[in-house]
Amino acid sequence: MAVDRARIGYALPAFDVVASAERIAQFAQAIGMSAAPDVAPPTFMKAVEGENNSSRRILDALAVDLKRVLHAEQQFDYLAPIRRGDVLRVQRTVTDIYERKNGQMEFIVIESSITRVDDGELAGRSRQIVLVRHPAPKVAA
Amino acid sequence: MTNLLTASPGDLIAEYDSGPIDRQMLVRYAEASGDTNPLHLDPEFARKAGFADVIVHGMLSMALLGRLLTENFAADRLRGFDARFAGIVAVDQSLRCSARFESRDEIDAVLALEAVDGSGAKVLIGTARVRLA
Repeated sequence: MAVDRARIGYALPAFDVVASAERIAQFAQAIGMSAAPDVAPPTFMKAVEGENNSSRRILDALAVDLKRVLHAEQQFDYLAPIRRGDVLRVQRTVTDIYERKNGQMEFIVIESSITRVDDGELAGRSRQIVLVRHPAPKVAA
Repeated sequence: MTNLLTASPGDLIAEYDSGPIDRQMLVRYAEASGDTNPLHLDPEFARKAGFADVIVHGMLSMALLGRLLTENFAADRLRGFDARFAGIVAVDQSLRCSARFESRDEIDAVLALEAVDGSGAKVLIGTARVRLA
């Protein structure tokens, strides 16, 4: 079933995430870094925006079956470093839904902004493209 | 390391091998990132989704590729990082990660990044934007 194009523009309510020293250290360890860094690793923004199962909640809102989903592309822009103790406000929006290969592949674009709550400074932006795989329709022999 | 101010297109800037990405790493990454998609944790679910076994989180592969950046440049020099997940990374595969100089302007250098699995398949293709100094 095709993803409803009317869901373009769907946004989750903004939520706040604390980039605690413990979380940054746990993330750094999970990706094999030998020491906990002062500045969060480059892909830590994905963990921040993924807080509270936010990606799952967006896919649920779009009625997408998790078994059909793969992460196709990911982009980050860095404007200000994320440091231990920063409180970050995350805003996530579905900005596009499109198809390729006669609808066998659908793509959902989710863009996020991550802002430091203390000074209102934009720390970064994230753009995720999710692939929804649809099997080719069965053709009767 | 090659100087970004003098590097030529194609020059190798950095490379490393991630070592095998085992199930324990997938569990730890799920806990640390909050990405609990069962595709990376539950072999039965992975089979129902059409795979032989659990697969590595795209974002874990990208994080391992990103270590090329954090281990070679001060954190505040990184301005952009993107990746296309060009292939599935099977559990227990290693990733050979590399960064090559692509271009520069007055402010940034653009690096071409890639990760290749044990079979030689390019599984991640990306770029990074890094301040020249």
